[in-house]
Amino acid sequence: MVKEAKAKKELVDKGLVAMFLRMSPEERLRANDNAIRTILELRNAYRQRKTKWPGSRRNT
Amino acid sequence: MPTGSEKQSGPDLGAILEGLIEAGVEFILVGGLAAVVQGAPVTTMDVDIVHKQSSENIGKLLAFLKSIDAFHRRPDDKVIGPDVMAVIEKGKAYENLIEHTVEIEFRGHTVRVLNLKTLVELKRASKDPRDRQRLPVLEEKLRQIEEE
Repeated sequence: MVKEAKAKKELVDKGLVAMFLRMSPEERLRANDNAIRTILELRNAYRQRKTKWPGSRRNT
Repeated sequence: MPTGSEKQSGPDLGAILEGLIEAGVEFILVGGLAAVVQGAPVTTMDVDIVHKQSSENIGKLLAFLKSIDAFHRRPDDKVIGPDVMAVIEKGKAYENLIEHTVEIEFRGHTVRVLNLKTLVELKRASKDPRDRQRLPVLEEKLRQIEEE
């Protein structure tokens, strides 16, 4: 049981949890919005590249 | 460009990436963000990079890190910013990884992203429990991409 609890703990990024706990609710929302915006931009760029060069070896 | 004050309100992944590019740092985007970009349904709040290990590039990288008040992370008090790595799993460095990258356009710049196939291969060698947990998700996404 102790082993199981330890294994579960290792799966948690405690630093990330701590960082979010230090933020206000507004700051948390802003951080999430920033991340989502960037991820969407990057994903779009990736999709566009795939459309441009669908057969590229470097796509996989 | 991210500043020290932004550290309080959380990371701005886009600003960090843009800052690295504008600082002229040669790097490859790896880790969770690289996987997410390629459609993997995992979450991430940090930027993991492998940088080219030339003295000029390291100088640019250090100057950038200083400009955003970056500092070394401690496991118990992690500061989210770019995770800078000279090598990743299997001892792979920038030069070994460059041929396994996808180039994408981001805010008018080119970003090299480690392709999902290589990410999966490297994560299979990882001993980090969080990598092991994510691996089946990455493998499934890779399978879907290869079927497309």
